[in-house]
Amino acid sequence: MTDPQFQETDEVIDPELQDTINDTFDDTRPEEIVDKTVPLWRQRLNIFAQNKLAIVSVAFLLLITLSCYLVPILHPTNQTNQAATFNVPWNQHPSWAHPLGTDSSGYDVLGRIFYGGEYSLTLGFFAGLITIVVGTLYGMISGFFAGVTDTIMMRLLDAMLSIPYLFLLITLITIFNRSTVFLIVIIGMTGWWANARIIRGDALLIRNLEYSQAATAMGASKLHIIRRHVFPNSISNIVTVATFSVADAILFLSALGFLGLGIQSPQTDWGTMLQLGSVQFQNGYWWEVFPLATVFILVVVSINYIGDAMRDAFEVRLLER
Amino acid sequence: MFTYILRRVAQSFVVLILVMLVTFTLPYFQYHGIRAPAYVVLGTHATPANVAHWAQANGMNHPYWVRFWTYATQVLFHFNLGHSFKQNMSVWQIIALYIPRTIWLAVAALTFTILIAIPLGIFQASKRNTAIDYIATGSAFVLYAVPSFLLCLLVLDLFSFHGPHLPSSPPQGVAPWAIFTDPIGFILPVACLTMLSVAGLSRFMRGTVLEVLVQDYIRTAKAKGCSGRRTLMRHAFRNALGPIITILGLSIPGLLGGALIIESVFNYGGLGIQTVAAATSLDVPVVLGITLLASILTLSGNLIADVALGLVNPRLRIEGTK
Repeated sequence: MTDPQFQETDEVIDPELQDTINDTFDDTRPEEIVDKTVPLWRQRLNIFAQNKLAIVSVAFLLLITLSCYLVPILHPTNQTNQAATFNVPWNQHPSWAHPLGTDSSGYDVLGRIFYGGEYSLTLGFFAGLITIVVGTLYGMISGFFAGVTDTIMMRLLDAMLSIPYLFLLITLITIFNRSTVFLIVIIGMTGWWANARIIRGDALLIRNLEYSQAATAMGASKLHIIRRHVFPNSISNIVTVATFSVADAILFLSALGFLGLGIQSPQTDWGTMLQLGSVQFQNGYWWEVFPLATVFILVVVSINYIGDAMRDAFEVRLLER
Repeated sequence: MFTYILRRVAQSFVVLILVMLVTFTLPYFQYHGIRAPAYVVLGTHATPANVAHWAQANGMNHPYWVRFWTYATQVLFHFNLGHSFKQNMSVWQIIALYIPRTIWLAVAALTFTILIAIPLGIFQASKRNTAIDYIATGSAFVLYAVPSFLLCLLVLDLFSFHGPHLPSSPPQGVAPWAIFTDPIGFILPVACLTMLSVAGLSRFMRGTVLEVLVQDYIRTAKAKGCSGRRTLMRHAFRNALGPIITILGLSIPGLLGGALIIESVFNYGGLGIQTVAAATSLDVPVVLGITLLASILTLSGNLIADVALGLVNPRLRIEGTK
């Protein structure tokens, strides 16, 4: 009880209020000043929930992800067995046996959408994860240490950024093999440059702000400042960029699929399927491209919407204090 | 200003050397390492003796830095990017044959992108949070989420196979002037590439103009009785021009990547389609040569953008002369 306003009153204070006051002005436990009542994650969730479009997006994405992983197990149709396609009519109209028809190889289109989604979503998620982890580390180090380190690291980044992305991706896939793991690593390791730029900008800004300088003056170690000040204050950008990275990784994987450099047959991903489907679409077999195209576009759009809502949720200035 | 340009050119040169280091080093990671070209040229069943002989004859046994020095001097002073494994041409001949076509496509699309994206960005920012803004943002979101090849194929179906029956492919001749023989053939590819880059840019454009619109000088301009149009054009647009030029410079890699997809869809023989063909047939020198060239194009684009930035922004100009 150091605040003079409360010391000078003789009124009896309601014990519950007294507790709150104690908690609020107790300077031995500074972490708990901000919110005793509503935990931080709860506040963020509340802000996120204000964006109705984002809630719909999350629900849709959950539904699609669950179906992609569960439907091929729960309802196995012919999705990859090449031998079993010989006695199935190709390019068959939708029917009860095949709700979305069969494709040009005789595979069940609906089952194949979920099967391909498994690859696209997994690859997109892990490539996005690599992108954000590496990008954050690189950006933080470059921005926080500034000076010569920053100059060298940024010139390296300039070199990588000036190689057109799709060309580099094709080069790497030519040189390395095309297994799923390599695709994840290649898309992940080539996607973080723009992220590093953004996060480096944040780190550079935050290290010069008063609270970081105060921490330095009080003798905090560099690691401590990065962990307790720079990272939490740039989390809004990190989370947003991470979300967009996943969407971008899915899009780039689809471009590779179109060029025939994606997942190899009989396995498939959405890009490869869309490419094959769009060829058949010219012959009038709409069911091979439109259902998948709708799902694909909705998935990418909803990831982007979630990213937008995340930006708001992690924006410290919007928190109710 | 001159010092500023000089400094930027020097920086770009350093970056170029770094890019060359990357394109030179990447083939070391192939399955057979540095000997991989031998197996591509001599076949997969080449005897070790043959491979060793080929490696010796092509200078593969020199140390890394010696080889890089040879590569760099060949590229920088002789414009020699190596020889294709699969086609009986040097990489430079392949590039010289196809580059006018890609550049033509990219420049046409870039022109239309500038003509559409900048006014759209200003319009959206000035009519913020109205129905038109939402529609524009929403369609950019969806357009961004459509895989580029799918968009092209749908456009082909709507405007070529059905409807107005526009030509589905640009003129095929390889001579530079063949481009002009059938300009109508370029409508669909250029429109698709423009749509893709506008979708990518419009998010930035709106944000950039919005950031300018909340500045104090805009409020001052309004307060002194400036008309809305004059505020936008004389105060907002001129200040937003700097970031817009930077973004356009940075959009070149995206444009080239988009051109790669567009060329494949519309069967337009350019650098992109050559890259894909070379990549699928493991023709590493061609892939690396075109990648290096694309990086040089990007670097020059950024350089031009930075110089233009110095021209439109007096603050940078003064800083440069100091």
